[in-house]
Amino acid sequence: MRELLEAAVEAATSAGATYTDVRFVDTTNEEISVANGRVEGVESSASSGIGVRVIAEGRWGFAATSTLEPDDVTRTARQAVEIAKASALVAAEPVHLSEVPIVQDRWESPCERDPFDISLEDKIALLLAADETMRAEEAVSLTKAHLGFTRVRKHFASSIGSYIEQRYVESGGGIVAYAIGEGDVLPRSYPNSHGGDWRQGGWEVIEAFDLAGNAARVADQAAQLLSAPSCPAGELDLIIDGSQIALQVHESIGHPTELDRVLGDEAAFAGTSFLRTQDLGELRYGSEHVTVTADATVPGSLGSFGYDDEGVPAQRDYLIKDGLFTGFQTSRESAVAIGRASNGCMRADGWNRIPLIRMTTVSLEPGDGSFDDLVADTEDGLYVETNNSWSIDDRRLNFQFACEIGWEIKNGKLGRMVKSPNYTGITPKFWNACDAVCSQDHWHVWGLPNCGKGEPMQVAHVAHGAAPARFRGVQVGVGK
Amino acid sequence: MNEQERFARDIAARAVEMTDAHQAEAVVAAGSVALTRFANNLIHQNVAETDMQVSVRAVVDSRQGVASTNHLDDASLAACCKAAARAARSAPKDPDFPGLPDPQPVAQADRSRQASLDFDANARARAARSIIDQSAARGLTAAGAVRVAAHTLAIANSRGVDVAASNTGIKVTVLSSGTHGGSGWASFTSPDAAELAAAALGDEAATLAERSADPGGLEPGSYEVVLAPEAVADIADFLAYVGFSARAVAEGRSFMSGHAGEKVLSEMLTIADDALAEHAMGPTFDFEGVPKQRVVLVDGGVIGRPVTDSYWAARTGSPNTGHALPAPNPYGPMPLNLEIAPGEATIDELVAGVKRGVYVTRFHYVNVEEPVPVVLTGMTRDGTFMIEGGRLTKPLKNLRFTQSMVDALADVRGITADRRFVGGEMGASFVPGLRLGSFAFTGQTD
Repeated sequence: MRELLEAAVEAATSAGATYTDVRFVDTTNEEISVANGRVEGVESSASSGIGVRVIAEGRWGFAATSTLEPDDVTRTARQAVEIAKASALVAAEPVHLSEVPIVQDRWESPCERDPFDISLEDKIALLLAADETMRAEEAVSLTKAHLGFTRVRKHFASSIGSYIEQRYVESGGGIVAYAIGEGDVLPRSYPNSHGGDWRQGGWEVIEAFDLAGNAARVADQAAQLLSAPSCPAGELDLIIDGSQIALQVHESIGHPTELDRVLGDEAAFAGTSFLRTQDLGELRYGSEHVTVTADATVPGSLGSFGYDDEGVPAQRDYLIKDGLFTGFQTSRESAVAIGRASNGCMRADGWNRIPLIRMTTVSLEPGDGSFDDLVADTEDGLYVETNNSWSIDDRRLNFQFACEIGWEIKNGKLGRMVKSPNYTGITPKFWNACDAVCSQDHWHVWGLPNCGKGEPMQVAHVAHGAAPARFRGVQVGVGK
Repeated sequence: MNEQERFARDIAARAVEMTDAHQAEAVVAAGSVALTRFANNLIHQNVAETDMQVSVRAVVDSRQGVASTNHLDDASLAACCKAAARAARSAPKDPDFPGLPDPQPVAQADRSRQASLDFDANARARAARSIIDQSAARGLTAAGAVRVAAHTLAIANSRGVDVAASNTGIKVTVLSSGTHGGSGWASFTSPDAAELAAAALGDEAATLAERSADPGGLEPGSYEVVLAPEAVADIADFLAYVGFSARAVAEGRSFMSGHAGEKVLSEMLTIADDALAEHAMGPTFDFEGVPKQRVVLVDGGVIGRPVTDSYWAARTGSPNTGHALPAPNPYGPMPLNLEIAPGEATIDELVAGVKRGVYVTRFHYVNVEEPVPVVLTGMTRDGTFMIEGGRLTKPLKNLRFTQSMVDALADVRGITADRRFVGGEMGASFVPGLRLGSFAFTGQTD
């Protein structure tokens, strides 16, 4: 493989490239899904190929091929150079890259039990057992259960002389029970919605979920939602569970701190950011309780790696420290705009996509105190769990989230269950209204396998560490 | 039949032959996609890829397994077929599975255009430059993409299905932004790159950007609205996602559930899925190789029938309308060629009828809060205006809406004669502009 990749680098250089990196990526997936006791899908897929990214005449070009024949690979390298030269038809300043060390290395994720060695029968049996338990609840009319596994092998070669091999395994899954009443579709998920929870690791990740052990509780709560009142409307103190905090961080901190968005690269599709480069070190993003890191070194996190797809070593960096905005997520090209080196956030969705700035493990660092103490300290509020819907504007300011379930808080105690709670806010105002984050004991790294960005669309696997947190005076019950 | 189709059909037939199962199906998707992205008035991404993927569905008794690969040598293909059969043997029996569909004649449609096949990196760069020039000349900043694609889809199964089709597409998007909060949008989707008028598209976006500078606020509340086609397409797509599938209807998750034959939406509204229309994009058969039928989903506001695939047709005792997605498919059948019937008005005439309301160019980041009433929330962007006295008056900051689309579409007050394609070359919605009586805006950006 190394010979093939280095030949592609050589071919691109000969054709006029001033910088080249070549990635071979081999991805294997397995997905198993069950609905209402029926196995809906057992699917395995394999995809591999080579992507060549070059700078020629000062502009970027990229071409990719699934054919691994040497002639096709060198032809693809030359095609990338031709595409870069075409880019130069629109006049622009040449691309500059921040410095990166020359690296020869290997990296591998943790994986105790290879999930691809576990029989399909065992995986299906685990899902059917959880599904059957959920269906025992009469009011639940639709159940779903899902497992997924991914194995990725990557080789990276660049014209500065780096060669990096990486390998990781991801495992994830979840269950959901739906109670469907008149005009209501009320889901209740575990361990998280939208595909469950994911980690780098093997079968041990799935066993730790104990899907069957949580199925009865999930089904019971879905059934209770059918007779629960709607979420109240108005301004309340809001406590948000860790999984929803993870998505709140993702949408209103993770994406706006991607420097390519700030610089306008995603303007026409995903949007830009309310942040400006001059806000660095100046903007009070949140209260003193809000410290957020971007960390690609968290063991077992979906956002971890040894090196990003530009060959930059994995790092831990502060995006927000004690409420002050201190850092962007960057690439080698974008980091030049703020006079820094890349903090290693470039990842591509497979061999046929260019790397983009993607979140690693972007986490709200834990605070002090227990969840029970936080509720006890809240006089009149609402506690919400598990995302059901999300939306945010193109500058990442105005957001609205709906959750699966909520409970009123009256005089320091959780009270009546409410269905379909939602809340809305403006990003800096919301994070400045945060007055408590629960402790490390409540902190968990949530894996999100479905972050979309870029054209052609790329789906990244990212993660967020989060614990329950409280926000004062939040507008809830929008449209209720 | 072109060479690519012959090759894809051969691969599909080989995969079916190689699969050791009671029934087998192979879907071969081959294509090339090239995309030139621009932002800040320069090209910043320029990519191209070619790929061919085969997906094999094996059926053992009533048990199914699926495997796919993008390597087509004999060893890789054999491993893929073996994996599909192994998966099928691991699955429990599914008594509701009706078996793979029988062959039926499919409509032939020539949806491949030479101009699109010839639209290379230099042509994409020239188009980008024409677009950028329109913004740059007015002190504005252009961003967007020129995307050209060519696809071949071949499907075969062991019951005799053997179909193939090729199609091309070009999609161009333009966002033009000013320094005073204004932005404008224009897009173009077609099978034929020869129809692209890049400078005109750049002008449309830049003109809107100039007009929407210095936007003001608007109190939350319900307003009459005029939605441009791009905004209407978002609504149509979400109706399809949560409402138009036989699966959603059967599970009680759709606004159509239990309401067939009832008038639920405005009598002005007729919505169909029609992959057979002369102007439609994408193949005329579904991912099981079944011919697509024209399905009237809503007829003059009256709920029609949902779309089906072989499984949900059998499950619900309905005809198979040919709307399968690739197996395995957890979503159920889905319409990919939605059309809203045109009216007679121009967009200016729709605006002229509104005393006080809001004009929306397009939405951003729309999502479902409640599926049955189709409560959607999302933002407006790139050209939101106040309508006063039948005229667009002042530009508005982007607004958040939280609105049941079933309620909103029950009060349609006007439909444009002109319609636009919004989507991609494998299926696009063909929609007009709409005037709606009431639309709830629940917030706005700072």
